[in-house]
Amino acid sequence: MDNKEYFHAVQIVEDNCTGCTSCVRVCATEAIRVRNRKALIDPARCVDCGNCVVACKFHAIIPKSDSLELINKFKYKVAIVSTSYFGQFSEDVSYEVAKQAIYELGFDQVEEEAMVTDFMIQMIRDYVRMHRNRRPILSSNCPTVVRLIQLKFPSLLPNIFHIEAPMSILTRYLRDKIQKEKGLKENEIGIFLIVPCPAHVTAVHQPEGAYKHLQDGAFAISMIYGKVHEHIKRLQNEPTPNIVTYPKGLTWALSGVQADLVDCEDIRALSANGIDNVIEILSRVEDHYLDQYDYIVLRSCTNGCVGGFFNVENPFVAMSRIKKMIKEGKDTPVNLKELEELYRAGEFDVAPLSPRPIMELDKDIKTAIVKMKQLNEILTTLPGLNCCACGSPSCYALAEDIVQGKATIDDCLVLLKRYTLESIQDDFLKKNKNKE
Amino acid sequence: MLDYAVAESDMAEFWYIRPGYEHAVQKHFKNQQEPEVSLESLIREKDFNEAGKGSAEVKNLLKRLGVNPDILRRIAVAAYEAEINVAAHSLGGAMLSNIYPDRIHMVFLDNGPGIADIEQAMMPGFSTADEMVRELGFGAGLGLPNIKKNTDALHIVSEAGDSTMLEFLVFFNNNGQ
Repeated sequence: MDNKEYFHAVQIVEDNCTGCTSCVRVCATEAIRVRNRKALIDPARCVDCGNCVVACKFHAIIPKSDSLELINKFKYKVAIVSTSYFGQFSEDVSYEVAKQAIYELGFDQVEEEAMVTDFMIQMIRDYVRMHRNRRPILSSNCPTVVRLIQLKFPSLLPNIFHIEAPMSILTRYLRDKIQKEKGLKENEIGIFLIVPCPAHVTAVHQPEGAYKHLQDGAFAISMIYGKVHEHIKRLQNEPTPNIVTYPKGLTWALSGVQADLVDCEDIRALSANGIDNVIEILSRVEDHYLDQYDYIVLRSCTNGCVGGFFNVENPFVAMSRIKKMIKEGKDTPVNLKELEELYRAGEFDVAPLSPRPIMELDKDIKTAIVKMKQLNEILTTLPGLNCCACGSPSCYALAEDIVQGKATIDDCLVLLKRYTLESIQDDFLKKNKNKE
Repeated sequence: MLDYAVAESDMAEFWYIRPGYEHAVQKHFKNQQEPEVSLESLIREKDFNEAGKGSAEVKNLLKRLGVNPDILRRIAVAAYEAEINVAAHSLGGAMLSNIYPDRIHMVFLDNGPGIADIEQAMMPGFSTADEMVRELGFGAGLGLPNIKKNTDALHIVSEAGDSTMLEFLVFFNNNGQ
């Protein structure tokens, strides 16, 4: 295992943690343990999926994003808004007003992920056609999915779409363009993302495979929502300004619709969302049972990015609103020539992603086998209740923790109770014998 | 290796050894070494909800041992195919996985009714799967050829009207050493 320090947007507030183990049970990568009545996240295993944030009833797991004041460090401030943002408002709020409200937060320029959706679809098709020997190609937009593959499905790393996500492509494109057009230096321009999930915050602070400096920070939709809402109330009574929108590009927030767009005569696409479904699909891909697909859209959250829990609206309601906007909106044509040139020049390429093996018991297979034998032996003594009272997610995980020196058999409360009862009985019998 | 009688006349047998692996395969069957770790699971007839769980379990175990990802995928495919074969075509059976430091030996034993013609069953596209199995998306006749493609040694012994034993070996190093 490497000793790299991992940044995570999902963090534990120790003072609020009661050690209840709710988070331990729902973690998709078994990254959480309760030790000394406090939850601890293993940074090497966490994929920022956010299951634990939802499960915690004590506000002890808080997903962090940057503070909005960060933008004041820069002379020219740019926001790139995630597509799911536009599904967060009641239907009387127009697309234009929702976008205008972001300017009001203090940005000089507001751009949308949706602007490059069409371009992304073209790139995906091109990439799939160039890599026919690597079926299926797996989408790389969801940072949780990419990290999940690095952790649990390293054999599938070559199948990942090795091209930057749309918000990063825009960042690359805008940084150069603004420098040229406005005569600014690179460090005078601050480019920020408005994101639907903590995984995107993590990806901004610790991008995987990025060749160049990308964004300067990420703000949660939920964090700016209050402020944005106030601006919207005011803006709704004012004449609508001339704001460019990209309703057709909003499909990026919906994993199913995105797969439908990539799907064409020579490309078969599949879509799966929700982290448990994603894990199941990846396991099937590993078994070569989904080789009939050329491209698979994978999103950790329900319905895609609309399900990210920095959103304030329910994922199904948000999806329905976005679908309505796509249907009713008129698209602004985007000149893709410059983007295409950058793509051809390899400017959007991602460095080959490397595995983050967490599954193996040891680097050396002989030692791993010895540990596996010990693990199996310990497992036979454990009660098999998977009660989580020890602080590990299952009896198997506790056995694994014991083998790895991270826990002891005394952590099992069921066994401890059994032994205690037995020793009390023994004492009792001894005393009776002495009396006789 | 499981013992079996060779004298019976209706018995069919099939052997495949990947070229270059003859010595290693021979050594495996000759030495009858005790496996380091074993896993066993039942395979129920036509239970397609459960079928595949045994091979998934083996896959997880191999990941914990740090087996090379490409070799792991070959084992996963062969194990899954063999498990589904037992569920789809037989009256049910069991699978046994024996893990050694350098290889895995998997044995699938069913309760009948046996394969009438193994050579034919090895042909890509040949299938005896019934309607129910095909409706579930299985039975495309790719099972056995797919197992052969992914293993270093494959051995099938079957008796018409009786049980079938399928066993295969996959080495963790690409050269079988």
